[in-house]
Amino acid sequence: MSALLQNISLIGDEIPWLGKLRQKGREAFAAAGIPGAKTEAWKYLKPRELDADDYVFSVSATPKSVDALPFDSYRLRFENGRFCPEGSNLPLQAEVVPLVETFMDKEGRAPFYAEQTDWIEKYPFAALNMACLNEGIFIRIPGGCRLDKPILLDCHICCGGENLFSALHNVVVLEGGAEAEFVEYYHYTGEVKSRYFNNIVNQIFIAENAVLHHIKVQDEAFKAAHIAFSPVCVGAGGRYESFCLQLGADIARNETKVMLNRAGAECEVNAAYKVDGWARADTTTDIEHLAPCTISRQLVKGVIGGQSKGIFQGKIHIAKDCIQTEGSQLHKALLLSDGAEVDVKPELEIFADDVKCSHGAAAGELDQEQLFYMRSRGIGQEEARQILIEAYLDEVISKVGNEQIRAWIKLLLHGE
Amino acid sequence: MTTPLLEIEDLHARVCDKEIIKGFNLTINEGEVHAIMGPNGAGKSTLSNVLTGKPGYEVTSGSVRYKGRDLLKLSVEERAREGIFLCMQYPVEIPGVPTSTFLKHAVNAVRKHQNLPELDTMEFIKLLREEGKKLGIGNEMIKRPLNVGFSGGEKKRLETLQMSILKPQLSILDEADSGLDIDALKVVAEGVNALRDGRRSLLVITHYQRLLNYIVPDFVHVFADGHIVRSGDKNLALELEEKGYAGFVKES
Repeated sequence: MSALLQNISLIGDEIPWLGKLRQKGREAFAAAGIPGAKTEAWKYLKPRELDADDYVFSVSATPKSVDALPFDSYRLRFENGRFCPEGSNLPLQAEVVPLVETFMDKEGRAPFYAEQTDWIEKYPFAALNMACLNEGIFIRIPGGCRLDKPILLDCHICCGGENLFSALHNVVVLEGGAEAEFVEYYHYTGEVKSRYFNNIVNQIFIAENAVLHHIKVQDEAFKAAHIAFSPVCVGAGGRYESFCLQLGADIARNETKVMLNRAGAECEVNAAYKVDGWARADTTTDIEHLAPCTISRQLVKGVIGGQSKGIFQGKIHIAKDCIQTEGSQLHKALLLSDGAEVDVKPELEIFADDVKCSHGAAAGELDQEQLFYMRSRGIGQEEARQILIEAYLDEVISKVGNEQIRAWIKLLLHGE
Repeated sequence: MTTPLLEIEDLHARVCDKEIIKGFNLTINEGEVHAIMGPNGAGKSTLSNVLTGKPGYEVTSGSVRYKGRDLLKLSVEERAREGIFLCMQYPVEIPGVPTSTFLKHAVNAVRKHQNLPELDTMEFIKLLREEGKKLGIGNEMIKRPLNVGFSGGEKKRLETLQMSILKPQLSILDEADSGLDIDALKVVAEGVNALRDGRRSLLVITHYQRLLNYIVPDFVHVFADGHIVRSGDKNLALELEEKGYAGFVKES
């Protein structure tokens, strides 16, 4: 990784805030390095192998063709980690621009938000992302605005022979009472064995009474790496609802840190994953209840086949005096083979009285009675298994409110 | 002479090393309705599970021929596609799978096997409405997840609906009347009787004679200790009702 960092040259280092942020990222990454098995937060995923020197930055985005929209939405297309105007259409009623366009912003809105990085020392991959701060988007939904369509961040990798490194950094700001849907979609075409690396940070700010629906689908190539971190701040009466589906990649982590900063702030952090082969899919959450009367809910369901591994690390922290707070967390996994593995680490830190907090974890296999029932009606073994797997994940997918997006997710899961 | 639909000869089968079926013989021809009656623990459910190929049931000797072929060589789904249907005593609940979705998969799996074109959604819904109406199964019920939260009667009606749309050659009814009140029993019996077209056959496994008032059998067999101890016509069921199983079990 150090070779990659030495070789990149990014425009805008002379802009004081930007230069400083990148420097901060470089320093934090240099101090932490790529974590291995001995770092508690990464002990299951063990991403040390990502410390390779053969990653290259993509020079330009040259899409051959842009596929149709998967559902009715605005779109920002990224091709090999670079913004691509050809496939993009942007809403007018909100500020949605490639991050680079905000670098010279006189009003300094993007810098104000981007600079809020107290967490950087603890998140080495986010520090690496910050060191490369350049590509990504800035979304600002003005107060009271309800965006009519979802914003789709369509990140496509066209795999060639080289090992691409892409660092996307998105800043999403919802002002008071605003509501929006933000969808991230990571997919690829081309050389299926490509070892590219997608490193993503989403800084999300939800002001009082604003609501963000955040959907993500990770369907990377099977040798790819995908490490994402979303720090989310939620204000009074605000709500953060997320759903992440992980289907691909060799090594993947989706980490969400929600700070419920003011009374009445709520979040729902749901996820599903379906992995096979030798893949490792990690879902890590850290919910901080920092004010009274805050609510968090989490449901994560995984389907693990082959020699693959599912990981769930979920932390709920309730700070002192944060009374009448509710936190719940549930992880369930379906193991399809003897070689499948699941590692679960729930953590509750409660420093207040009068709170409701729960966590649970379960792992099981496909129900033989259900399989027999379906087969006894003529449905083939494989088809029956597929139906049961989709039914298993349906419990969490059904929590996605937007019908079109839900249908799209089911289609991807079905593998059509 | 035509080939019998089902021919079971000296069948022995076990579950978890315990022999349950001990020298069972039965021949069912096209269009015939056979009832098997027996006390609890006689092995009635084991017999239906062996015929449908449920994992965990081991046939140790004997043979089962279906349409002249070795049935025991076929997988569970192959048997179903060839027209064997088990109306289950306790249908399982499958959360997350809408009843209609499940039924469409099943119908099309069977049609595909018969080289018939698969039904599209419109055609399927039409079929489902027509057949559902006869059994008092409305739209609301088929949208719900399969059997989840269904009452005993609803489950049995749904089993009957599946029979009506899959149109099996041989239906095996395992305690089809358990958990049914008299009105539900009549509805189910009507659905089953609608399949009696002189070509399709039924094997009705039951503990009580009651069901046989509504689904009148051509033959009645008394099943005890793993094999048939006596066979007769429908009057045998009445005799059983009167005397109880005790007398017959002793006879064996």
